[in-house]
Amino acid sequence: MNHKGDFLSLIKHADTLHGTPEMDNLSSEADIKLTHDSKPMRDAIQLPFQGKSTYGKTLEIPEATTVVAMRYSEGIIIAGDRRATAGTSVIHDRAEKVLPIDSHSVLAISGAPATAYEIARVLKHSFQYFRRSQLQELSVEGKLRTLSRLIRDNLPMAMQGIGAVIPIFALYAPQTDESENGGKIYFYDALGAHFENVDFATTGSGSIWIRGVLRYIDRWGETRLEDMDQQQATITILRLLDTASEYDAATSGYNAKAEIFPTVKTITQQGVETLSDDFLKDCYVEAT
Amino acid sequence: MRDLPYRWIEAIQDRRDYIEDQLRLGSPVVGLPFEQGCLLLTVTKGAQKIFEVHDRIALSAIGHPADIERLRMLVTDTASVQAFQSATEDVNLHRLTHYVLAHTFKQAFEAIVGEAYIIKMLLVEIGNGDEQTQFTHINYDGNVKVDHDSAVIGGTLEIENAMQEYLTAAQNGNNSDLASTLQLALKTWAVGRVLSQRSEEAEDDTDVPDEEIEEIISTELEDGEIEVGILDDTLPADTKFRILTQDEIQAVRDIS
Repeated sequence: MNHKGDFLSLIKHADTLHGTPEMDNLSSEADIKLTHDSKPMRDAIQLPFQGKSTYGKTLEIPEATTVVAMRYSEGIIIAGDRRATAGTSVIHDRAEKVLPIDSHSVLAISGAPATAYEIARVLKHSFQYFRRSQLQELSVEGKLRTLSRLIRDNLPMAMQGIGAVIPIFALYAPQTDESENGGKIYFYDALGAHFENVDFATTGSGSIWIRGVLRYIDRWGETRLEDMDQQQATITILRLLDTASEYDAATSGYNAKAEIFPTVKTITQQGVETLSDDFLKDCYVEAT
Repeated sequence: MRDLPYRWIEAIQDRRDYIEDQLRLGSPVVGLPFEQGCLLLTVTKGAQKIFEVHDRIALSAIGHPADIERLRMLVTDTASVQAFQSATEDVNLHRLTHYVLAHTFKQAFEAIVGEAYIIKMLLVEIGNGDEQTQFTHINYDGNVKVDHDSAVIGGTLEIENAMQEYLTAAQNGNNSDLASTLQLALKTWAVGRVLSQRSEEAEDDTDVPDEEIEEIISTELEDGEIEVGILDDTLPADTKFRILTQDEIQAVRDIS
């Protein structure tokens, strides 16, 4: 039995999940003790080196994407483009890179999709499991460390240049006084260290084109990022993604013909909300 | 002892008597559907008794706190692992009941040299789409009873029958709003509480007048709290479970 609320530990020992010691001797086809099929998932969340020495190798991080998060007046707005690429080919134009993890937190991913989606999935199940087993929400620091651990465990893949993930993790801190903004943005490096970005963060191959713009708007813009209302913040974030797509081939813009919009979510005291396509369409009219 | 069947049966009967004696004074739990989902209600003096198991499944129990905790963790762990290794949609109450809990209860109960679980458990799952809400009552010996309209757990079978009769007489067949459902659940709980406090000699008398219901509610709430867990299908998140705060419960009671 697992009393620590540690989901990774639970999964690794899923073979031994039982109610009483005597149950070890039971065998039933219908029994969901999950013995044989738990191993592949264990491997999926902690992949080993593939035998080749990587000593001295430069860490190459493929980041074909643009995701961006900003603090605005009500909390956090976080967005990502929809393009997935393999080399110079566009392989998918409806990829979701901004993934809700729980009612008040979101992970925006850049890097290898397989690893990124798995990290998001493990994270989601970890937070849920902690709440259900320990009867309390995992603390903000606990959530950050869980994500750090997953990114660090993925280091062998990152070192081989085939599976690095550099996410932005954004959340709204619970029990924040209504007069304050509880929105928080965290940026990670490939080794799992996390840094709090007070006003904004962006990652992915398109991020270099907009980081300076974000800084400029926040410092000298007509309205500072944290003073923007939802519509202003949405227009700004759509313009930023449009700028990134102009210069980065791996970032898509708004596809008017197919009506494919970037994914834009807000995280406020009320929780995570996905902005509707209709709202984004109206904002695009203003933005362009 | 198994080579002497009559002694084994006698031992099982002793164990049954012992467990029922332990459970007799347990605070009952009532499960009822309402417009947006379903609720579980009990009155507690501190320890939480209503728990989230998975997105659409909740649990409550009466019995020894250590046994409740152990079995709660078993079902929560299993549901969590299943959801991760397969999909959330593959976790359902039927599988958890029949392939995880029921045989665990039965095995512990019948292993007369080992410790028995002193527990009665009530689980509920809100239906997805056209599926019905399902209440599942698991007895300490592993017997399972499934219902779609309501469910109760109380200290003895007689108490449960009396609570169920009160519910059947009061229910109008339609799912009501939260306020009136909570009030009905509280009164049903009170019926069970009154009967559990009556002496064993008077246990055949299962009639509980309204005055006695009101009296026991106010007496028990002097040092106890109403605990309500709901599965609300209208919540936007995947997880439909939440515990109502004391302020919310009071506000709902004021309405009714």
